[in-house]
Amino acid sequence: MIRYIIKRLLQSIITLFIVLTIVFFLMRLMPEEGYFGENYEKLDEVQRETILTNMGLRNPIHIQLIDFYKGLFQGDLGKSIIYRPGVEIVGILKSKIPYSLKSGLAALMISLIAGIPLGISMALNKDKMWDSIGTGYIVFISAFPSAVYYLFLQLYISDIFKLPVLFNVDDMRSWILPIVSMSLGGIASYAMWMRRYIIDELNKDYVKLARAKGLNKKSIMVHHVLRNAFVPMVQYLPSTILFTISGSIYIESLYSIPGMGGLLVDVIQRQDNTLVQAIVLIYSSIGIFGLFTGDILMVLLDPRIKIQRGGSR
Amino acid sequence: MNYKIEKLSIGINKELFEFAQYNANNEKLSNYLNYSYWRSTIYAFSKNKIALFFLYLVIILMIFTIIQPYLPYQKSPIQIFIDENTGMQLRNHKPNSEFYFGTNSIGQDLWARIWSGTRTSLLIGILVGLWESIIGIIVGALWGYVKGLEKLVTGIYNILDNIPSTIILVLLTYIMEPSISTLIFAMCITGWLPMARFVRNQIVIIRDREYNLASRTLGTPTQRIITRNLLPYLVSVIMLRLALAIPGAIGSEVFLTYIGLGLPINIPSLGNLINEGRIVMMVESLRYQLIFPAIILSLITISFYVVGNAFADAADPRNHV
Amino acid sequence: MRRLVVFILSIFIFLWGCSPKEYKKVPVALESNKSVATRGTEKLQDFRYLYSGEVTTLNYLKTNSSNEIGIASNLVDSLVEYDKFGLIKPALAIDWEVSEDNMVWTFILRQGVNWYTVDGYAFAEVLAQDFVDSAKYILDLNNDSSTANIVYGVIKNAEKYYRGDITDFSQVGVKAIDNYKLEYTLEKPVPYFLSMITHACFLPINGEFLKEVGDKFGTDNYNFLYNGAYILDTFEPQSRRVLIANDNYWDKEHVYIKKIVGRYNKEALTLAPELFIRGEVDSAKVSSIVLDEWINNPEREKQIRPNRANYFSYFYSFNFNPNFAEKFEPDNWELAVNNLAFRKAIFHGFNRKAAVLTEEPYSPNNRLLNTITPKNFLDFEGTDYTQLGSLADISHTDSFNKELALEYKEKAIDELKGIACFPVKVLMPYNTGSVEWASRAQVIEQQLENILGIDFIDIIIDARPPTGFLSKTRRSGDYSILECNWGPDFADPETYTTPFGPDGTYNYPHLALGYEEDNGKSIYENMLNIAKREVYNMGKRYKLFAEAEAFLINQAFVIPYSVGSGGYSASRLNPFESQYSPYGISSSKFKGQKIMEKPMNTEQFNESQKQWEIERRKALKAGNR
Repeated sequence: MIRYIIKRLLQSIITLFIVLTIVFFLMRLMPEEGYFGENYEKLDEVQRETILTNMGLRNPIHIQLIDFYKGLFQGDLGKSIIYRPGVEIVGILKSKIPYSLKSGLAALMISLIAGIPLGISMALNKDKMWDSIGTGYIVFISAFPSAVYYLFLQLYISDIFKLPVLFNVDDMRSWILPIVSMSLGGIASYAMWMRRYIIDELNKDYVKLARAKGLNKKSIMVHHVLRNAFVPMVQYLPSTILFTISGSIYIESLYSIPGMGGLLVDVIQRQDNTLVQAIVLIYSSIGIFGLFTGDILMVLLDPRIKIQRGGSR
Repeated sequence: MNYKIEKLSIGINKELFEFAQYNANNEKLSNYLNYSYWRSTIYAFSKNKIALFFLYLVIILMIFTIIQPYLPYQKSPIQIFIDENTGMQLRNHKPNSEFYFGTNSIGQDLWARIWSGTRTSLLIGILVGLWESIIGIIVGALWGYVKGLEKLVTGIYNILDNIPSTIILVLLTYIMEPSISTLIFAMCITGWLPMARFVRNQIVIIRDREYNLASRTLGTPTQRIITRNLLPYLVSVIMLRLALAIPGAIGSEVFLTYIGLGLPINIPSLGNLINEGRIVMMVESLRYQLIFPAIILSLITISFYVVGNAFADAADPRNHV
Repeated sequence: MRRLVVFILSIFIFLWGCSPKEYKKVPVALESNKSVATRGTEKLQDFRYLYSGEVTTLNYLKTNSSNEIGIASNLVDSLVEYDKFGLIKPALAIDWEVSEDNMVWTFILRQGVNWYTVDGYAFAEVLAQDFVDSAKYILDLNNDSSTANIVYGVIKNAEKYYRGDITDFSQVGVKAIDNYKLEYTLEKPVPYFLSMITHACFLPINGEFLKEVGDKFGTDNYNFLYNGAYILDTFEPQSRRVLIANDNYWDKEHVYIKKIVGRYNKEALTLAPELFIRGEVDSAKVSSIVLDEWINNPEREKQIRPNRANYFSYFYSFNFNPNFAEKFEPDNWELAVNNLAFRKAIFHGFNRKAAVLTEEPYSPNNRLLNTITPKNFLDFEGTDYTQLGSLADISHTDSFNKELALEYKEKAIDELKGIACFPVKVLMPYNTGSVEWASRAQVIEQQLENILGIDFIDIIIDARPPTGFLSKTRRSGDYSILECNWGPDFADPETYTTPFGPDGTYNYPHLALGYEEDNGKSIYENMLNIAKREVYNMGKRYKLFAEAEAFLINQAFVIPYSVGSGGYSASRLNPFESQYSPYGISSSKFKGQKIMEKPMNTEQFNESQKQWEIERRKALKAGNR
């Protein structure tokens, strides 16, 4: 196991380098006009050249790449060039991540706490009233465009319950709507998958055998069915938890939460190369690490799964 | 039997074993005789009346979007109608018998735009959804089962999954100009990744179960293990995922429009119709511009969801006997 | 397994606990849920608004974005500023004079004005050297200044210093004669120099502070010095900004709004009107989309008024340097566009009102512009620039004229018979970043094709991504007709000619055939050069420019279209109180503005506007004397 972990970690680092290098080159393919935003028109040729040179974009591309990695190895993410020129990237991210993390984790907790029991009770009451109500909710949430119902919640619910329309750090009440809106989708999807997995599980022979053996229903559910039904979900759990730092584009822009949501999209469109690279570095590390921990969690929960051996050659 | 077994391995050597050859005839012996998987699935599915209703609904919707432009009295989705009294555009005209769904802010017929948009979005959804599923399942199955590929595919997955799709989209629209085919292409490039990961996880969970081990020991080829032992087991979850892939693709088109990378508004799509409608949500008199496209989009999603769920239930072989 | 859970939980708790400290400073709560639109008088000192464009930096010596300069203009004062009629009045300079040859400008500075830190401590006095330091900073290549070209466009030796041809800064035409006497020496006589120094690039900076903070200057509200009406108390990008009146400001009796709270929201356009109704903001733009609802609701209709137009001029350009894909037949376009009758057919066939309705459904005529230079931009002895010479006629006639259009169409077909093929393909790209532009493109396509016939023109609208739009489209000549815009940089008609000169990258009018004069230059270019050379007699100068502009329009090189901005707002600010100037930083100042108890309605707006125009004329006459 330890050897396997070390091997995977090494692989991950190589993957990370490849991702960063690809992103680095892709960003260099963007048009030069993009670095100037609305200023472009009013500048003359000398100024444009100067600004591009000062951004380091006039160096040969391999030099730029080497410089980038040099900085990275010294633990220096560099400074933003367009989003907030001259500001340390670490500082920007430090101020933004907590907002996304807090709201995201709160929403995730609610999704799990509400979604999983909902899915379980739906599965146990399959084809009964409760199942239909739950299904109705799931269908509505996944069918209706979220961009629309988020706005609806923001404008109407805030009016009804006298909640603040915009986020405000100092007002705890202003957290409520964004977090609730964020968890609606999560509740639906956890309930849906939980229901599916449990129904699949309940049909299996071992459940019938356990019943025949005379085990009580509760014990079968807790010790066998639930444990097995959690396995497919657990693989995603680490990535989901870690990725809460990336925030929600819709929610954060609707409620003006100064978090990470939409930051990546924004800086890509504005071509802030250094910031894009820093965010990609963080997100890819999370993505790779998340997949990896997910695998390990799966093995821990279901010893029959062998991740490092097995399969055919 | 008068000698002691000293060590279990002593008497065991290679000569005692031979490689099992896969024998198609032997396999048949273990199967039900009169059982057809798909026939049973369809039979189980057809028992679900609600699902059948939504299935018909989707089919009717699809047929209607295709024939709608050829029906009599249909208007062009991009023609701007002029108010005869003022000589100017017929802006925000309420729904009536002439314009069933009213007109938008520049005087285009929403009825025509919505059907044209549905056509575009369904086309995108179906193509992207199918592509996602086919590639996703193939790659996912190989990734999960074939040991030699695991390292390679995990590497590729990690690379592709972590390059932000926004960069790819921005670059593609820059190189190829915004159009339906650009959007489809861009969505296909990375769209199959979640499906592949999903299938891979499922396969990893069951690949080392005893019956697969047994199969493998009996020399069953990999391809056959995947298609016969693994995928049928997964058919129900995959079906559900597949059913959600099409509305999912439509949903991501809506999202792309929201962040400004969707289709230009002279190509109507559900994405940009909803985005236009969203802005007028607070305006009561114009809310119809949001409600109509939202209803169509919801109908499509609900139909696929219900049909997918019912089909997933029906496709589970354990529900057949 | 259990350890893992504990570990994850402790990470949760750890992360929950750490949040950036500066964000906890100074709680500024937005009052919420006031259903009544009027505010108590005690609150009339706060102004709250929603904005969607975030500033990236406060470094006013570097940026050229109006958004960022707008904030800086409230924090740092310039040498002179404008009053509400657009007359120059003293600010940091109490007096100034210009030498006989118009080349040397001397400013006497106000004494006792200090630089303050964000906490209100006096850092140093504002001295003449601060203006020299700011010029030095801007002209340093390493500082990436986007406004350097404005400085080196006028100041002596500045360009040479910028390019490194000279290294001794004392040769550059900015000098501190003593602590309170500043002298600018120009490269050539510039009659409008006074209007230029209200640009952000002529704002002062304390050199010592700059040395202290280095690269960090302007990255947040702490690395910044204030000498203006407000202090930026809170600067939280993507969240909020709070400006608080500077207690030590030299002119504080004219600062009526004591606190300005801006909240960021990406969807401000959708949200702000709603928040205005709920009494959570004091100003909101009412977009054309929701305008119907507001106009038809008597309660809301009372609360909105038109916006004042700004000085961005929008026009449609005919491209004389076609450089697009073969399938759009660039050669055929080149033949057609060089035919005056063809251009005039489109010029008169373009129903600009129909197009402007996409953004201004209720008062399209307020937006339409018949000239390139907008009305009220400049004025010579009481006569508006657009009323000079041949421009007067143009500014009074709507270019849309169906009969004329059809007449020219016949003529064009006649003249181009056997030369160009009909229908002529007209490539009209638009930027998908703007929804209104996309609508407009569709309207124009249909309207022009209807009036001129699809046997004559075939308009192809082409959606292009915002990424690299201008380079890919306008600069490379990849269009037939394109909507373009230009904003003024200084108080002179010359500023609106920049796009059309031989160095321009708009529609390359110098490449038009049949306009060449003996000196090898085009008629228009020669007209411009003559006008530019006239720097002493302003009346003559303006008339020469007016004639050149009239020529450009009469020969249908461009189709003037509209002014920027417009639409309606619900706002408690009186737009006629703000400092009036089409360029520079003055117009974004909150100084001098008051918050009204009730928002202005359209009627009051029109009345105030009339009143303002009358008073302005008087003031200008008095001022000119």
